[in-house]
This record gives sequence, structure tokens and C-alpha cells, in this order.
Amino acid sequence: MDVYQLRAGDQTLTQIHDLNPTTFPPVGLFWTVQLREDSVEVRLEKGSASLQAWDVPILDYGNIPNALFTGDNPPPIPGSVSFKMVWSGVNQRVKIRNTDPIFGGFAGEFIRNTAQMEWTATVGDSTFVSDPLATSSSIFAEIGHERNGCFFEEDDDKRR
Amino acid sequence: MYIGDLSAWKTAGLTRLYEANRDFPITRRSPPRMTRRQFARAVTGTAVLGGAPGAGLFEPGIAKERESFTPVPIPGGTPVLNGAYHFFAPNLIDPIDAEPITITNMNGFVGLAYISRMVTQTNTQTGETLRLPFLNSDMRFMQGVFRGADGELHRGSFALV
Repeated sequence: MDVYQLRAGDQTLTQIHDLNPTTFPPVGLFWTVQLREDSVEVRLEKGSASLQAWDVPILDYGNIPNALFTGDNPPPIPGSVSFKMVWSGVNQRVKIRNTDPIFGGFAGEFIRNTAQMEWTATVGDSTFVSDPLATSSSIFAEIGHERNGCFFEEDDDKRR
Repeated sequence: MYIGDLSAWKTAGLTRLYEANRDFPITRRSPPRMTRRQFARAVTGTAVLGGAPGAGLFEPGIAKERESFTPVPIPGGTPVLNGAYHFFAPNLIDPIDAEPITITNMNGFVGLAYISRMVTQTNTQTGETLRLPFLNSDMRFMQGVFRGADGELHRGSFALV
């Protein structure tokens, strides 16, 4: 979660909270946390999916540069976050087989659609409560089913 | 996270992180292929999850080593950060068809979205409230079968927060 503050003077946005689940430094699996199996529901044929989790431990690094590069300026504050997300609609269906050496190594079927979220968090002496889910919006959203790594390579073998 | 401005945040610290990630034991070679039986067991959820249901859930990132279950991160990362961090941000800082999953050797569902709106922050000591925007928060789920660091197949659900 990335929370900003609008500075009254020059009307610029400054990030003041960055909540993510990874202890600094973020080596290895990036900001990814295991959830209960029933946290995710997908109905690909309808273009819908949901993601819900409660009390996920996070650290508030204040801003992304601190979370990525510094880690202690300011020192992260432990907390927890709960969230509910929904994906819905079908704007576009795409099949991707990406063999690009940088961005690729996977294949799958995707639906580009829209998503919304509501969330709450507790960090130190602060609580956060987002506006209702229906008020939120996404600039980009997609759901899909894909295979990468050894599953992608096996897919390649079948094609030969 | 809002990573649209990442290119402006490259600092000397990035080099340090790149070195750290370079030493992370990511399996770049192809793992052994699975048998049909192994795959079927994993898909139907009969593979061992590494503990009792619910055990170890929500453990922050890599803070807790659980080699028997640990997913392996994708080998690459966004060029905006010199590949030092194992994620891509499709249609934000990377091409729209870039890899959305952060776990490699995975066969499953994925969802990704960059979400914005408003949040109310309350100081529980003073009662002061602030109305603040959250912008393009990158939220994802991954659910399916993956080959863990132990080389075995597992089934799991994950979120990028």
C-alpha cells in the first residue's frame, strides 16, 4: 500500500507510507507473502476474481526508496494490513507466449479488466481505513492462468 | 507500491542490493521434470504444504526460512532496477506482456492490479485524522502448483502486497 500526502504549498504528492510484507533488504521473493488457500477465488470464464486477507504482517518503510535501497531511513514500523480486492469484467482476452529473455519465459491466457480494493491497516499509533471498495479504481488490471519456469519449458517440449 | 517513479529513484544503494540479490540462491538451471503422478498430486492439493493448515501463513517475506516449502523467485527483474529485484510491473514500468508472477516454476492463476483511492489515517493517541490518497498500489495474487526450493511440487496461494 502506498499512501501519499498532498503538500499544500506546491501541490506535490509525497509518499509518507509504504506498507509491504518483506524484511529489508528485499532479496529473493519480492514483497510476496503466503496466504490461506481460500484467500483467492478465480472464475476465469466470467472474468472475475477475489483476493482477501486479514492481519497480514507488514512493515511501513515510509516510502519505496527506503523500502528498496535504505531500509532504515526512517526505521520501518511493524503493523498489519487487511484487504479485499475484486477483479471483474472482460475488456480484452489475450493469449501470451513470451519468450523474451528479460520479460518472458512464460505462457498463459489473460483477461484485462478492472479491479477495486478496500483495506484497513494498523501501524504504530495509526489506523488506516480506506474508502469503500466501490469508490476505488484501477489504471490496469488483469487476471489469468499461466505457466513459467519448468512448466513453460515442458510446454516447449510438447511443441517440438 | 507505486513504482511508476522508480527510474528517478536509482541510487547508489541499488548497486548494494544488486550484489545482495546476486548472492541469493536462485535456481537458474532447469529443475528436474515432474512425473504425471507428481503433478496430479500437487494439483489436487495432496502435496504436503510444509506444516499444519494455517501454519506459517503471513510470515513476512524471506524473514523466515522454510526450505521445504519456499517458492523460488523468478530469475529476472525489471530493467528499470537493473534486474536487481525479482518482479516486473506490466504496463506500468515494463511492457504490458511482461511476467506478472513473482514465483518461478509455477502453473496457476494470477491477478494483478494497480489501485487508487482515498484512505483515512487516524492517530489513536490524539484522534487526529488525515484524508490521504493511495496511488497505484500494486496488488497481486498467485495461486497454483509450484516447484519449491526443495525441488518438490507444492500447492499454494500468495499475494504481492
